[in-house]
Amino acid sequence: MKIVVCVKQVPDTSDPDTEVHIDSSGKGVDQGKFSFVINDADNYAVEEAILLKEKHEGEVTVVNVGSEAANQVIRMALAKGGDGAIRLDDEKFAGSDPVALARILQSAIKDLSCDIVMTGCLASDDGYGAVGVALASLMGVPHAAYVKTVEVIGEGKLKIGRELEGGLLEMDEIDTPCVLTIQTGGNEPRYASFKGIREASKKEIKVMDLAATGLSEDQVGEAGSVAVMVQYSVPVVGDLAEILEGDPGETAGKLAGILKEKGLV
Amino acid sequence: MHEIFVLAEHRQGELRDVTLEMLTLAGQLEGKVTAVLLGSGMDDFAGKLASYADRVIVVDDPMFANWNAINFQAALVALINKDKPHLVIIPNTGQGADILASLALELGASFTSDIIGLAIEGDKPVATRAYYGGKINGRIEFKDAELYVVGLREGAVPAAEGGKSGAIEKVDNPVASEATARKFLEYEQPPVGDVDITQSSMLVSVGRGLREDKNMPMVEELAGLIGADVSGSRAVVDAGWLPADRQVGISGKTVKPKLYLALGISGAFQHVTGMKGADLVVAINKDPDAPIFQYADYGIADDLLKVVPALIDKLKEMKG
Amino acid sequence: MSIEHGVFVEKYDLLGCIQCGRCTGGCPVTERTALNVRRFVYDTVDDSRLEELSESPDIWDCTTCNTCAIRCPKGLEPFEVLLGLRAMRAEEGNIEQTAITALESMFNNGNPWGKAAAKRMDWAEGLENVRVLEEGEKADVLLHICCTGAYDPKIMPIVKKLVRVLNAAGVDFGFIGTEEKHCGSEARRLGEEGLFEYFDEENTELFGRYDVKRLVTLSPHCFNSFKNEYTNLALPVQHYTQLIAELLEDGKLELTKEISSKVVFHDPCYLGKKNLVFDEPRYVLGKIKGVELTEFYRSKERSLCCEGGGGKMWVESESKAPRLAETRVADAHDLGAQTIAVACPFCWLTIEDAIKAKGFEEEMQVKDILELLDEAL
Repeated sequence: MKIVVCVKQVPDTSDPDTEVHIDSSGKGVDQGKFSFVINDADNYAVEEAILLKEKHEGEVTVVNVGSEAANQVIRMALAKGGDGAIRLDDEKFAGSDPVALARILQSAIKDLSCDIVMTGCLASDDGYGAVGVALASLMGVPHAAYVKTVEVIGEGKLKIGRELEGGLLEMDEIDTPCVLTIQTGGNEPRYASFKGIREASKKEIKVMDLAATGLSEDQVGEAGSVAVMVQYSVPVVGDLAEILEGDPGETAGKLAGILKEKGLV
Repeated sequence: MHEIFVLAEHRQGELRDVTLEMLTLAGQLEGKVTAVLLGSGMDDFAGKLASYADRVIVVDDPMFANWNAINFQAALVALINKDKPHLVIIPNTGQGADILASLALELGASFTSDIIGLAIEGDKPVATRAYYGGKINGRIEFKDAELYVVGLREGAVPAAEGGKSGAIEKVDNPVASEATARKFLEYEQPPVGDVDITQSSMLVSVGRGLREDKNMPMVEELAGLIGADVSGSRAVVDAGWLPADRQVGISGKTVKPKLYLALGISGAFQHVTGMKGADLVVAINKDPDAPIFQYADYGIADDLLKVVPALIDKLKEMKG
Repeated sequence: MSIEHGVFVEKYDLLGCIQCGRCTGGCPVTERTALNVRRFVYDTVDDSRLEELSESPDIWDCTTCNTCAIRCPKGLEPFEVLLGLRAMRAEEGNIEQTAITALESMFNNGNPWGKAAAKRMDWAEGLENVRVLEEGEKADVLLHICCTGAYDPKIMPIVKKLVRVLNAAGVDFGFIGTEEKHCGSEARRLGEEGLFEYFDEENTELFGRYDVKRLVTLSPHCFNSFKNEYTNLALPVQHYTQLIAELLEDGKLELTKEISSKVVFHDPCYLGKKNLVFDEPRYVLGKIKGVELTEFYRSKERSLCCEGGGGKMWVESESKAPRLAETRVADAHDLGAQTIAVACPFCWLTIEDAIKAKGFEEEMQVKDILELLDEAL
């Protein structure tokens, strides 16, 4: 079984103290105080891919669109059991929307004749949750989003569980080759030991630029996108909690009102 | 006048709230609102949709009893190609996000996902999306197209009251044969009685400020009233007031509920790290300098043993 | 493979063990868990059992407090066997998610708390003249804050107090700044030998950039790693209590204000039992006017661990029995102590929790020695 798993390196915004500041261009954010990690859902996708490989044999190829700094997350995935890696890196890729990104990924994946392509279901930075589905469309294969469980049930057939709102699992059957976008929580991502990462550094990461992808400039970046983020803005919210004043009866009343207004009760 | 298509979402025989939210948003824009209901035996829903739409297209076929990305996409493509709406709004949910990109690509539409706001400027839609976990917003402009498709985040637009009475049109199923590459099998309910707080959409979380476990029933009553699960800090789990799988924090679970109601939790960052993903945080704590207030959207600096009973009364009053 | 050449036999000198049981007899966590360290020393002689033994949850109960080592009549370090078993789990990637999160953050950010490296000096906000050393810059003292001091909002103010105290004594000191990294101590205790070696290499290179006379740490855990576990660090290493004892002895630090409090000192394991630094903290506390210093029954070599070290910040025991820190707080309460003085960020955090758990907030507080010194300036 040949599996491709797409991973993205993202700023670690899980720390509640992480501040996001819009830069002077208005189209980017200051990256100076960020640390960078593998996108959470992609981490689960890597684990799912490696679990399938361990059960059914085969190989796992890690694919990434990113700069050299992204080697860090690629090597972690290789250390966990990935066999090879491709990193797509070109200045022209900057500003790509999910369609342009899917096109870039497809250019690397199309020759791998794989059975399953996995992506995380959602990136924690831009949160589009659309790349995997767009990729399937470009590849002309079936797909499923928010997949939490994957089981091989026969030649070219998988049984998958898609996680819907409220934790309900929608069980489906899907033919391979296919694209699955993996939801968090379906497995327990293993630890890539430091020794393992050092070992994995010996595996080759194939780098592809725009010319190597065979795409043209107007198919990637903003030019190749159908929707472009043109201006960031700061949502109007206070930093500190809004303290509700009054005696317990009054504060409780105000809180009940807020919960109602927000549709939470 | 442009036409706006809205895909109604239903699951297990229920119309999901996001449908009315999408119709409310569509109603705020210039255009004729058409609700598209792909289902099986769902006449009741059509009536409800008609009060929010100028037109309701109903395709009644067993093929649409349950979600299937291939069947639903095929039907939408046919309906859209026939009526040529200018804008299609679909829910950015487990169903809608399963087809948003592939549908738009098949139709050659400009699209974006997970929007929290939408306006029409000139002749084109302009969308607002949230980035970096909601820390900043971004304005999305589309490449010129005949058709625009957007996915609306659940809960981003409050549903208004309906006031229209659109015409209901029953349309034959345009999809000739059912998909074989993907098939719906069944639903698996989340295990009952074994709460996984990482999946909870509402959490009432307690800390040492609760003082004694004899106060626990009060917390459970509050949680029951708002449909929340109960979680807690390490101290509370250590004390045996809650089982270990309810612990939030670095050495416990990481949670991301819509509401995190922190009762008597001081907010050590080992705890806060575990609840970072919560949408709305409300903290009740006696100490006005407790760090939890730095992470909360709303705070009450008072004794939870006084506020919680009052809150329970108010909520009961509201429910009537 | 013969027993004499077993992997653990050689590494931990297991055949030196006479199975006397002094290790387990003194092990503080046996009060609340099933851990039997003597048994592990015996069983790990057999290579074929290592895999199975490494899967025992008991190996994660050890706080690495060094009691077993200090009691061993043969000079062995029994708890190191447990770290060897943890290392097997870590290398296979099969460890608790909470530990994985901490270790991945150490690798990505240089700290276990999931905080960005660029925010490592945020603790200094509001302080003037915090000196971050340039490459090649001269100073008497290089201060290593490490991760809990740099990022835990409860410990950050204590670091500020260290700055104030050293400034008052006219010490020529500086910091590494945002390039400072985890000492590796907790990486090693979570079984990540490879990551520890990485920090050893990185930090040794980093410290070598400055023209400093000694390295002083806030935490006894970093102190121990730098002093005893780093392979090529030539710089003399001190815990801050040692530096301050010197300053007081030389008359460079003057304490004028009186603090009227009955104080009991809780020996941090990595300062006391591990490095036998017992006198300096007591000397420093004794120099503060008005402090009535009392002693725990279990103090110095027999001191009771607070369970903050040994990677225990990230791996919980399943035991529901009272935490050792709570036992410690109860003992202090019996002594009538108003202040439990500590000299370690982990001790500070666990004891503060325990005071709350026992409901003693009104009667006693935990204070780092630095907080008392700052009040006494």
